[in-house]
Amino acid sequence: MKITPTDLGLAARVVHVSKSFGIGQGAVVALSDVSIGIRRGQFTAIMGPSGSGKSTLMHIMAGLDTPTSGEAWLGDTQITALDDTALTRLRRRRIGFVFQSFNLVPTLSARDNILLPFELDGRTPTADEQGWINTLCDTLRITDRLTHRPHELSGGQQQRVAIARALATRPDLVFADEPTGNLDSRTGREVLALLAEACSKFGQSIAMVTHDPVAASYADRVLILADGKVVHELGPSTPEQISGYMLAMDRAS
Amino acid sequence: MRMRLGDYTASILVTMLSSAFGVLLLQGTSVLTTIISGDDIAQKESVQVALSLVSVIFFAIAVYVGGVVTANTVGTVIAGRTRVIALYRLVGASASSLRRAVAADGLLVGVVGSVLGLAVASILTPVSVSIGVATDAIPSARYDLFPVILAVPVLAVVLVTWLASWVGSRRILEVTPIQAGAAAVEPSREDIASHPVRNAGAFILIGVGVLLLAGGIALGMVNMLGVLVAMLGGILSFTGVVLGAPLFLPAILRSTGRMLGSGPAAKVAAANAVRNPARSTRATIGVVIGVTLVTMFAVASQGYVDMIMKGREAYPADYQGIDETLAVTIGVFAVLFGFSALIAAVGMVNNLSLSVLQRTREIGLLRALGFTRTQIRRMILAESVQMTVAAVGFGLVLGILYGWAGAQSLLGSILGGGFMLPSVPWLVVLGAIVAAAALSTAASIAPSRRATRISPVAALAVE
Repeated sequence: MKITPTDLGLAARVVHVSKSFGIGQGAVVALSDVSIGIRRGQFTAIMGPSGSGKSTLMHIMAGLDTPTSGEAWLGDTQITALDDTALTRLRRRRIGFVFQSFNLVPTLSARDNILLPFELDGRTPTADEQGWINTLCDTLRITDRLTHRPHELSGGQQQRVAIARALATRPDLVFADEPTGNLDSRTGREVLALLAEACSKFGQSIAMVTHDPVAASYADRVLILADGKVVHELGPSTPEQISGYMLAMDRAS
Repeated sequence: MRMRLGDYTASILVTMLSSAFGVLLLQGTSVLTTIISGDDIAQKESVQVALSLVSVIFFAIAVYVGGVVTANTVGTVIAGRTRVIALYRLVGASASSLRRAVAADGLLVGVVGSVLGLAVASILTPVSVSIGVATDAIPSARYDLFPVILAVPVLAVVLVTWLASWVGSRRILEVTPIQAGAAAVEPSREDIASHPVRNAGAFILIGVGVLLLAGGIALGMVNMLGVLVAMLGGILSFTGVVLGAPLFLPAILRSTGRMLGSGPAAKVAAANAVRNPARSTRATIGVVIGVTLVTMFAVASQGYVDMIMKGREAYPADYQGIDETLAVTIGVFAVLFGFSALIAAVGMVNNLSLSVLQRTREIGLLRALGFTRTQIRRMILAESVQMTVAAVGFGLVLGILYGWAGAQSLLGSILGGGFMLPSVPWLVVLGAIVAAAALSTAASIAPSRRATRISPVAALAVE
């Protein structure tokens, strides 16, 4: 009997994934034979310097990009085998995104942005889902901002709306791509604490890509990538431990 | 701030068409007048006056349409450049200097297009006249093909293009340096509703325009010059409609959109009309212009024929030999028809593809959040259907009104003329509607294929 990712307690995993851009001699290898799993209910940080392949890895895990070789799984679905339509449906129902540049729709109010995934799915939230959205908005402290449009909100508020949008459909996994990259450090810490709380309080699985050791210190687990490979794994760590490791790695290279 | 040349290809084409049109009209009128002066028609003089009037009117309309199309295109280009404009503002450019630069580009476009148009007409007319004489279609005579007055349409087109780019670039003034860092924000419906000066201007223009239209029709009962008054009324009222359109068009679009079904693609499309009122209005106005124009010309030429026939029935002796003139004029009308429709079509296609291309990032986000390629295409298709339906409804009403007012004010005073109700050649109008629908759909679908082909990751990286 085949062991599925779910049996292993994994929300997602990639197996022997490689990705290169271009062909022949000019090809750039972004990922080279990477195999990792994202554990369910955990806050996982994927760290690495720029060019380490962390964004490519996230795009592949989220079905936004396809690997050159290897498999990617979301729960028990092998997403590398899916066509574009099936992948899109999977993103709509089972994946949430938080971007560095927020990516809220500027013409929609905060509430309509949060409801957008439902709108795209052609339905309105059930009473149960609406209750969950209300809880989210309360936790994220945006309930009194729901009628505002994005440009009327501060950066931190916009990112909290984006988090609400990502969590609203209760996806299997939320991907956060440098979620604090456009925020000042205090607002950034608030957003990170909220993401960590979504894991601890609501059991949400989150994978966050970052190059910031402070951001990674909020995670339950830190995977470190360099030159397209996973080079190290840390449990809950302080920013000092993480940056210590990164510095040591930098000196060794 | 210089724009990319590619943004101007369509505008140069529009300008070229307008200028060629003006020159051809003058040359054509000159040829026709020469032919008619050799004939023996009792109503000769009034036919000649009518011909000159008609060419002035049709030229004014073509230039006006070209102007509206250019202003619309500049507006769309600027909306897509908000971020670049904001960056220029950030590093110290003043809004008015940026606007002057855009207007200067407009002047250049006007000069290039207008001279090209003159060149095209200077080749076309002598060739057609020689062919006409050789085949005995027109009598051999001394035709004056290059009167000095040809400079008038060429200069008029340059000036109008310049003015149109100035008017179309007014949005630059609303761009703040802050927007360099944030997503470009189009005005909301509330923002648009709270534009008191512009909205009041729109109502005043429509009011004065309608009064002039009525006055022109009344004057037309005694004198052909009534048509000039009516034309001014038409131009003013249509300008008012274009200005005021953001107030009511989005709501019309949404209600037409709601009839398209309840799937997510149709729903999002219907909502988009209201969420981006400025964008949806700009796109729709392009189609409205086209439908109004074609309907107006169809109704006007039908009115022209009906009116002459009515006169002939009452005074057969005075209208002897009118048939030939009528045939020639209808032929000329058909050409005029084609030209202005072409100008409107070029503008519409260009504007629609531009506005879809500008949505690459929005489309990327929708794709990342779970809209399939098919759903995106369906959404764009639904938007273009709701746009065409709304524009056709609107353009039909305006076109019938303007066409009827034109024929009535021009010919109400002829022998046996009087008052007539509008008659609509439905077949021509139906053809125009089908063409508008096909064009607007093709113009949106082709770029939307391009936009959905790039991956959401790449689309989201687009500024």
